[in-house]
Amino acid sequence: MKYLKSWLEDYYKLPKDIDVCDLITRLGAETESLTLAPSIDENVVTARVLEVIPHPNADRLKLAKITTGKEEITVVCGAPNIEPGQCVAYARPGAKIRGGKVEKATIRGVGSPGMILSEREMGIGKDHSGIKALEGSLGLGCPVAASLQGEVVLDAEVTPNRGDLLSHFGLARDLAALELKKIEKPKLKLPEIKDLAEKEITVQLKSVNCPLYLARVVKGVKIAPSPDWLVKRLALLGVNPINNIVDATNYILFDLGHPLHAFDLRKLEGSKIVVRDLEKNEEVVTLDGEARELVEGMMVIAGEKRPVAIAGVMGLKNSEIDDETADVVIEAAVFDRKSIRKTAKLLGLVTEASYRFERGVDDVGVEYALDKAAKMIQEMAGGRILKGIVKAGKLSVAGHQTVEYQKINQLVGREYSRDRVDNILAALGFEVESGQARIPSWRHDITSWQDLAEEVARIDGIEKIKAGKPPEAETKSGESDWHKKEAIKDFLVSLGLTEALNYTFLSGADIKAAKLKTEDLLEVANPVQEENRYLRPSLVPGLLKSIARNPSFDNIEFFEIGNVFSKTQEKTNLAIATAGKGRKVAEITQELAKKFGFEKDEFSIFEIPRDELKRFKIKKPSVSIAEVDLGQILPQTKFGKLEIEVLQREIKYRSVSSFPSVSRDLAFVVDAKITLEEIKKEILASSNKAILVEPFDEFIDERFGKGKKSVAFHIYLQAEDRTLSDKEADGEIKKIISALEKKFTAKLRS
Amino acid sequence: MIITGHLHPSTLTLRTLVEIFEDLGFEVFEGPEVDDEWHNFDALNVPADHPARDTQDTFWLKDGRLLRTHTSNSQVRSARGKKPPIRYVIPGKCYRNEAVDESHETTLWMLEGLYIGKGITVGHLFWTLDHVMRKLYGEKVEYRIRPHHFPFVEPGYELDLKREKPPASTREGEPQRGGWLEMLGCGMVHPIVLKNMGLDPNEYSGFAFGMGPDRMTMRKYGIKDIRQMWANDLRFLRQF
Repeated sequence: MKYLKSWLEDYYKLPKDIDVCDLITRLGAETESLTLAPSIDENVVTARVLEVIPHPNADRLKLAKITTGKEEITVVCGAPNIEPGQCVAYARPGAKIRGGKVEKATIRGVGSPGMILSEREMGIGKDHSGIKALEGSLGLGCPVAASLQGEVVLDAEVTPNRGDLLSHFGLARDLAALELKKIEKPKLKLPEIKDLAEKEITVQLKSVNCPLYLARVVKGVKIAPSPDWLVKRLALLGVNPINNIVDATNYILFDLGHPLHAFDLRKLEGSKIVVRDLEKNEEVVTLDGEARELVEGMMVIAGEKRPVAIAGVMGLKNSEIDDETADVVIEAAVFDRKSIRKTAKLLGLVTEASYRFERGVDDVGVEYALDKAAKMIQEMAGGRILKGIVKAGKLSVAGHQTVEYQKINQLVGREYSRDRVDNILAALGFEVESGQARIPSWRHDITSWQDLAEEVARIDGIEKIKAGKPPEAETKSGESDWHKKEAIKDFLVSLGLTEALNYTFLSGADIKAAKLKTEDLLEVANPVQEENRYLRPSLVPGLLKSIARNPSFDNIEFFEIGNVFSKTQEKTNLAIATAGKGRKVAEITQELAKKFGFEKDEFSIFEIPRDELKRFKIKKPSVSIAEVDLGQILPQTKFGKLEIEVLQREIKYRSVSSFPSVSRDLAFVVDAKITLEEIKKEILASSNKAILVEPFDEFIDERFGKGKKSVAFHIYLQAEDRTLSDKEADGEIKKIISALEKKFTAKLRS
Repeated sequence: MIITGHLHPSTLTLRTLVEIFEDLGFEVFEGPEVDDEWHNFDALNVPADHPARDTQDTFWLKDGRLLRTHTSNSQVRSARGKKPPIRYVIPGKCYRNEAVDESHETTLWMLEGLYIGKGITVGHLFWTLDHVMRKLYGEKVEYRIRPHHFPFVEPGYELDLKREKPPASTREGEPQRGGWLEMLGCGMVHPIVLKNMGLDPNEYSGFAFGMGPDRMTMRKYGIKDIRQMWANDLRFLRQF
C-alpha cells in the first residue's frame, strides 16, 4: 500500500534522524519511497496566470500574461486548459526541464521568455495534454521543487496477515510502538440534529456473513468537488477524486482502514437496508459501469427488493451518489473474510474494500470510522447529521493469549524481561494482566504465544538477537541418491558430455512430434501458456528439442537427469543423447555401466528415425538416445566413496545472442609451456564477438621445433544484434591471430 | 587430448550450497515434484482460503494434484516419524504458473533447509544464515534480515543481500529501489507444522529457510535472462 508521510504524521511525529523506510521495513513491511519532486530546476518557479488572450498569428496558441509576484511576463502557450487565476509552473529561460533547456524563443512572431510546464515537462508525471495547475496556496515566485517537497510517498509491501496496517492510522500505530508509545484516535464531536436516523431507515441482517452493520444518515448535502487538500491526498495515492461524499468515504478507507459505502437515500427502496445472500443469480451494473452476473449465495446489500451493493466489494450503479443527491446513507459494516474473498474471486473484482475485508477489519473501530466520515461530509458538503447510528448485529468477543515469557525467550534466544515484554505488548494495544494478553480487536493474526514472540522480537529489534551456533550433532556420511546422481554427472562430464536441463513440460506440438499418447500423460488443468500443457513422460523429447536448438554444433553429446511422470508414477530418469558423426550412445552407456557396475541392458537405447528427426526439425543425420530409470538401479549399486566436485574455476560469462553464431577452426604452433587456458583467455580478450573457445587438439612434435607444440581451437563468434557475415567473422579471426602472434609469438598453421 | 564436458550452472550452484550445509551436518532429502494439496499447502498451515495462496500461481493437474510451488512440500515428509535432531536440505525444482519473460520462469530451483531439535532459537537461525552468506559471498558480505510473513513459520523473516551497484536510473513515479536483493525466506517452524510432523511444539523447536539458487547463479555469472537457464544453448552451457 502507498502511504503519505505527512498523513502518517497526522497521527504520529516520525523521528527526523532515521529513514522512515527503514523503520517500516523493520516492522515487517518492506518499504521504498517514491520521488515526487525529482530535482526540478530552481529556475522553475510558481506564477499566477493573470490574463489569457489569443495569439495574433496562430489559432491554437495563446498568450498568457503571468506574474511571479515580482515581475509580469507574457509567454506563448498552447495548452487548452490554461485559465486566468491558475497557479502554474513557469520555467525561466535557462531552466533545465525534461526534454531539454528552455530558451528565449519567438513563436509565430511573438517573443516568449520561457514557458509554462506540463506535468511531464516538470518530470512529476506522464500528463502532457496541458499545463499543470498547482495548489492555490503556494507563494508566488518560489521554486516549484521546494513547494512539492515534503510530500513523500512510501510504498510498503504489507503481508497478508497484517490487514491492520492497511491504513495511515494503522501504520502510525505500529510505528509509535517502536518507541513504546501507544497512540489513540483523536476524539470526535459530532454536530447531530434532533431528528432520529432510525426514523429514516431500518437495517435487517439476514446473512450470517455480516456480524455487524452500522449506518448513519446525513440529509441536505450539496454534492460538489472535494477541497484541494483532500483531492491532493487521494491523488497522491493514485485514487481518482469523484465528489465530496465518495471522496470522504475513500479518505476514511485510507485513513482508518475501514471500507465505507455511501448510498443515495432516495434510491433506497422502502428506506430499508437488508443484508442477505442472493437466492438466485442476478445481473447487476456495478459502480465501475460493468454489467456483472452475481451468483446465488453471494452476499448483497439490498433495499426492499433490489440489491444496491455487493457487500464488501462494490456498490451498484442504481444507488449511486449523483449531482442531485441530497440525502445520504453511510454504511460501515463488518463482513466475513472468507465470504468476501470468495465473492471477489468469483467476480474477478478485487477492490480496496474487498482487499481489506479479506484481511480482516477492526470491528471495534467501525463506529469511529462512520462518525468521522459523517463529520467530514457535514464539513465539506453541508447537511445535517441525523441523531444516532442505526445498528444491527454485535461486536465479536475479544480473544486472549497466555504470554509464555519463558518460552518466548527460549524460542528467540534472547532474555527479555517480563516488563519489557509487557511494555511492548501494551504499546501494540494488548492489555496484559497477570500473564494474559487481551488481543486487540484489529489483530486477527495473533493465535499463539509464538505470535507474541514475533511481536516482542520485532519491536525490541531483531538486530539485538545474538547469533549462536546451533548444537552439533553427529554428521552422517553423504551417500544419498542425490550424491549418486551427482557422481554420475561428474563421470559423464569427464567423458566430455554436457548437462542439459529441460522443462518438465511438453506442449501439444511436442506430443505430436514425439508421437506420444496423451491419455497416458499427466495434464495441467490451468496452464497460463500452451507450452506447459503436459508433464513429460520421458526425457527424450526435451533432449531432441535441445539438439534442434543447436544447429551450428556438429557433434552434440547431452545428458540430463530429471523427473518424468505418468498418471501413476513419478520417476527420476537419466538420458544420454548423441548427435552427429561422433560417438554412438552405446559407447557411453558401456563406460557408465563399467564404472558404476550397472547392468548394460537396464538402458533403453534408440536410434531416432528420420521422420521423427524431421518433426523435431533436426538436420543432423544420426541421433541416438539412451534412457534409464535411476530409481531402479541406484539403490542396488555401490558407489564407494563419493567426492562431488565443486567448480573453483573463474568463469567470465558472455551473454548468448539470439542470433546464430558462426564457427572457425584455428591451429597454431606455440611454445609448449603455454597452457591452453592462457591461449583461450587471450582469444576471448582480443575479440568480444568470441563466445566459445574450445581446444580440440594439442600435440608436441619435433617438426615444429624444439619445445614447441601444435594447438587447435574451435572458435564460435556471434553478435548481439545480427548474424555475423563471413567478412565480419574473418575480420575477427584476423584480430585474434595478430593478438596471439603478438602475445605468444604464435605461428598460424595453414 | 581429454576434452571434458560441462555441468549446468544450476548444478554448480546447488553443489556449492549443499556442500556448505553438509559441513554443518545437514543431509540431503529429495521429495516429489507432483504432490497433493495437503503437503504443499495445508500441512504448512496455508489453509484453502488463505490470501497467501493467491501469491503463488499454482499449476493444478487434472487429477486434482499440483506441481509443488516450493520444496517445502517435503518439510513434513522429511521429518515425520523421525526423532530430532532433524537436519535436512531439500534441493529441487518447483513451479510457477505464469507467463515467461527475462525475469520470470515457470521452473525454478529451490533449496529448503530444516533444523529441528531441542532449544533451537532464532539466534541459531541467524548464525546459520550468517555462516552461509560469508561462505558464499566472503567475509565482507552485506545483508539485512527483516521481519516477514510466511504461514509456515512464526516468527518469519526475509534476508536481502546488498546489491553490488545501485540499480539503473530511477524514473519518476517509480520506487527508488533501496539497493537490496531478496535472497531467502526463513523463520521458526510454525507449531502447527511441527504438529503435522508428529512433534510436540512444547518439546521441540526448529528453523526452516528456503533459498532460490537461480538468483544466485544469475548474480554470480551476470546472466540477465533467466530463460537461458532452460534453453540448453550450447554457447551458454559450454561456458561453464
